[in-house]
Amino acid sequence: MPKMTLNHFEATLIFALLISIVLGVVTKRTDQERLQYGIKSFGYFLLTVFGLGWLMYFGHR
Amino acid sequence: MLSLKTGMSKAKKEEKHVYPPLPPAGKWLPVVAVSWLVPGAGHFMLKRTYRGAILAGSVLVMFLLGLMMRGYMFEPMSGDLLTTIIYTGGFIGNMATGVLYFMTKWFGYNQPDIAGHTVDYGTKFLVAAGLFNVLAIVDAFEIATGRKD
Repeated sequence: MPKMTLNHFEATLIFALLISIVLGVVTKRTDQERLQYGIKSFGYFLLTVFGLGWLMYFGHR
Repeated sequence: MLSLKTGMSKAKKEEKHVYPPLPPAGKWLPVVAVSWLVPGAGHFMLKRTYRGAILAGSVLVMFLLGLMMRGYMFEPMSGDLLTTIIYTGGFIGNMATGVLYFMTKWFGYNQPDIAGHTVDYGTKFLVAAGLFNVLAIVDAFEIATGRKD
């Protein structure tokens, strides 16, 4: 099995993307709703990542 | 009039939560079992091909990334309460990937590396793959029992 090294941001991004896809597929009923929910969920994940990232940056100064 | 409307909307809401009676186990149990063993297969059985393919792909990608990041696979361990919860919960999460878990164990694909952030993420990815499959199993169950389209 090849070894892979991801940094924090890459790992979080992939994690958020896959979670958004799965949640969109299982929770909504139409394709349109699924797509919208997936994009919205991914956007919220990104916002949280950047928000917490800045929070930790200022917390460590 | 207002109270009548409120009452009607309340009744409608309650109506929404009433599920149809559970069909015989023979109708949904094979779907649930197959869904657990092979991620996405339950949806294929129910002719939800695209949904099954997306779920199977997500579980597989998450699992493979976890393995490649040299994530750790949990074994049930007893001790203090927190240790028991984490290790047993992690073990159940790993097991939920079905055949992926068994193949990894049988063929020795899981080679945890020395502790580090990548290994830590890998461990979480492996458990998350199992949790994705749990969501897929529940989805397949709801479709098989007629609770979802």
